[in-house]
Amino acid sequence: MRIWRTGLTRLLQVFPVLLVVVVLNFTLIHLAPGDISGLLAGESADPAYLAGVRAQYGLDQPYIVQLWRYIATVASGDLGLSFRTHQPVLWEVLQRTPATLLLVGTALTCSIVVGTTIGAWIARKPGGWLDQIISLVSISLFSIPVFWLGLMLILIFAVWNRWLPTSGMQTPGGPREGLAMVTDVLRHLVLPALTLAAAWVGQYVRLSRSAVQAVLAESYITTVRAIGFPERRVLLHYALRNALLPVITVFGLQLGLVLAGATLTETLFSWPGLGRLIYDAILARDTPVIMGAFVMMSFSVALASFATDIAYAALDPRVRF
Amino acid sequence: MRSAASRISLAVVLLMLTAALAAPWLGRLGLMAPEAMDAQPYLPPGLDHWFGTDNFGRDVFARVVWGSRVALVVAVGSSALASLLGICLGALAGYFGGWIDGFLSRTFDVFLLIPTFFLVLLIVALFGASLPLTLLAIAITTWPRSARIMRAQVLTLRGRVYVQAARAAGASHLQALTQHVIPNGLGPIVTDGTLLMGLAVLTEASLSFLGLGDPDTVSWGLMIFDGQRQLRLAPWMSIFPGLAMLLLVAAFNLLGDGLGTSRLRRMRPRTTSAVPAAEPGLLAIEDLCVDYQTEAGLLHAVNGVSLRLERGDRIGIVGESGCGKSTLAAALMQILPANAAATQGRIRFDGNWLLHDGAIVTQGRSPAIDRLRWVRIAMIFQSAMNALNPVMTVRRQLIEAYRLHRPQSTRQDATARVETLFGLIGVPRDRLDAYPHELSGGMRQRVVIALSLLFEPDLVVADEPTTALDALIKDQILGEILALQRRMNLALILISHDMGAVAETCARIAVMYGGEIVETGPTEAVFAHPAHPYTRMLIDALPRLHGPVLAPRAAPAGGMGLACKFAPRCPGATEICRTQAPVSRNIGDRHEASCHHPLAEGGMS
Repeated sequence: MRIWRTGLTRLLQVFPVLLVVVVLNFTLIHLAPGDISGLLAGESADPAYLAGVRAQYGLDQPYIVQLWRYIATVASGDLGLSFRTHQPVLWEVLQRTPATLLLVGTALTCSIVVGTTIGAWIARKPGGWLDQIISLVSISLFSIPVFWLGLMLILIFAVWNRWLPTSGMQTPGGPREGLAMVTDVLRHLVLPALTLAAAWVGQYVRLSRSAVQAVLAESYITTVRAIGFPERRVLLHYALRNALLPVITVFGLQLGLVLAGATLTETLFSWPGLGRLIYDAILARDTPVIMGAFVMMSFSVALASFATDIAYAALDPRVRF
Repeated sequence: MRSAASRISLAVVLLMLTAALAAPWLGRLGLMAPEAMDAQPYLPPGLDHWFGTDNFGRDVFARVVWGSRVALVVAVGSSALASLLGICLGALAGYFGGWIDGFLSRTFDVFLLIPTFFLVLLIVALFGASLPLTLLAIAITTWPRSARIMRAQVLTLRGRVYVQAARAAGASHLQALTQHVIPNGLGPIVTDGTLLMGLAVLTEASLSFLGLGDPDTVSWGLMIFDGQRQLRLAPWMSIFPGLAMLLLVAAFNLLGDGLGTSRLRRMRPRTTSAVPAAEPGLLAIEDLCVDYQTEAGLLHAVNGVSLRLERGDRIGIVGESGCGKSTLAAALMQILPANAAATQGRIRFDGNWLLHDGAIVTQGRSPAIDRLRWVRIAMIFQSAMNALNPVMTVRRQLIEAYRLHRPQSTRQDATARVETLFGLIGVPRDRLDAYPHELSGGMRQRVVIALSLLFEPDLVVADEPTTALDALIKDQILGEILALQRRMNLALILISHDMGAVAETCARIAVMYGGEIVETGPTEAVFAHPAHPYTRMLIDALPRLHGPVLAPRAAPAGGMGLACKFAPRCPGATEICRTQAPVSRNIGDRHEASCHHPLAEGGMS
């Protein structure tokens, strides 16, 4: 019951974000140099299509009417047509989503599991040499520009040693079904996922370290220690569970940064996901795709934040909204 | 700025800043111009070209130095812009509150969810690549961070006396804000601003890497962008600018990180397994000393405490906060925090050594106390202090504790035991599935008591079990503890700062001051004829209908050397009290006190 009510109120808060993003989008193309219809339809669009776009968005009307039309259009799921492919932007974005989900999902799962475990482990002995070394390494990891890290991995694993593929998701002309295909995709996945995961491992080590440290100072941890629970169980069962709450919050807030990292990684490794779509759109000055991608990315981030709140409410019985 | 890492980071930032500012004049010292194509292309790093040369024969080292200018401009510029915007709006929201706060806070939340990088991409794609635009775009999406921090700071500062005083003295809102509120709330903003600088450097470099960098500048991101095409022939073209960026961003992050951390020093307890046979008797603590490692040095929290207890005994340990009574309990249970350890003394329990000559006694690989824990020695914690895990139901916590020590038992056995105990102590059974925060203070304390009695232990240590409860509930809980103690014939150590609670419950009293037991004896004797002036003060501090209340002040624990620790506060202190520590002496039947001038029997009351 409680969860449902929380869910509904939180879901309603996704819309202001989207509204701001859409208004921002439209205001920006208004301010940009050049003709709006050209930006929306493509500079080389044929006159009939250009006229269609003008009519659709009411570009000869006052700004506020144009804005309203634009919002209504976006709300109906119409993000325009891509200049390059003449496909609906929404379709293009959705088509590219699975590849990005595979990459981001793999990288995040790895970094959360590995990062929180290491962080919890070093939190037991703050100030120890192991803690200091790991803290320094994790700070360095999230200070590395992700594309540079990827480049270095390519240098090591593909240029100096020819161990792993560095481009695309599948070998051209390679297997297209069965286990062979899965292995092929996995081999292509290793380097980009490793690149993306490395930066976030550092973040999650830091996060879980400080969260676990805070929880270990709580009285209920003293209670379970006094009862005689073994240290490992105290740490993994009691402390980590409670410490995961702040880790979850950060996950929701930082999805935007994760997606930015994914865009760079996909560009570097030619991974056929959303990031690559955005990069190609930038090269071709395909404005509708860039704008559409911005809307969709914001939507995902707002949705992730919403999911985080729900997860938090489900895990922490004290939360009431 | 304490740690070495912070100092090195500051040095790195300052060095790069100097290099960036001095770059135009470094040419005279032999630094090549960043665009000069004077050298041979593709030269690997060497003496002439420290970082090698690129595909046009430009010196990579010179370009890295020049690139730091762009990095620092972006870092400082966007961070300053974002902080400024954040400070203004955050301060407005926090200071004025009401609908202004409501509206602005919502705005912060919304802007915080806009993904920075993609907005920057869109702006740069629409308006063309330029450094000021990039800077502005980063600031637009990052300001809510500092705004939120500032708002929270102002909310706490607004009520402070000096702000109120300034307003009352006729200062306008603006003056109060800019002169009194904002300067005092800046600390965390600076920390966040430092972290933001790192993020800004990375964002600018990422844009350049996607080909959206300002082509007229020398930036690290552009260098890596060019370098990736030459990865096979000249990997140094991408390696060095990346390293420079890593160094700078890590320095920013370490600086931001180091601005608010302190380090806890640990104390390693000694262990021993070779101990002689222990004499009988339920519990004996002899000459126990516990030290804390603090910023200021070693603190002797417990200083030579001895205590004896037989089955069925009830002893109360009283003293004000910081006297070492809770540390004594934690040392007995071996649950001291990481920066504390027993350094001296012996503890034995029913023929088992737990602590011998300051070392924890082990059996096999685990401490000897682990076999006695909870089954024979249990503890009642103060429930107001979160003694129960807030995210687990009461049922689960009790059952997990039961099954830890009775691994073969079923869930039904455990539930049956918990229900019996709840019946004994007066908790309705339907409260089993409640979370701790759903219970009243008294109920929560009863659950904590039930937890301690799961296995009918021989000894229960109750650490402030009634603190933070109101008087009526306090009496009920004490009554229930006493009834259960009699019924199960367990030994009880009641730790409290409340003389009254101890007098109601315990047959014997030990008064602690500054880590030592200064007086001990039968409750009636101690109350009727207190020998130590401190005991006298505690008794006089009890609430009465008539007469003044003398509240005890905090005692300095340890560090007094040879004097009597109570001397500075003692009304009857003489020269000997300031030069010589008193030893314990007999006052009456099993009644002892450590005082040079024990109070006369039946003294003023």
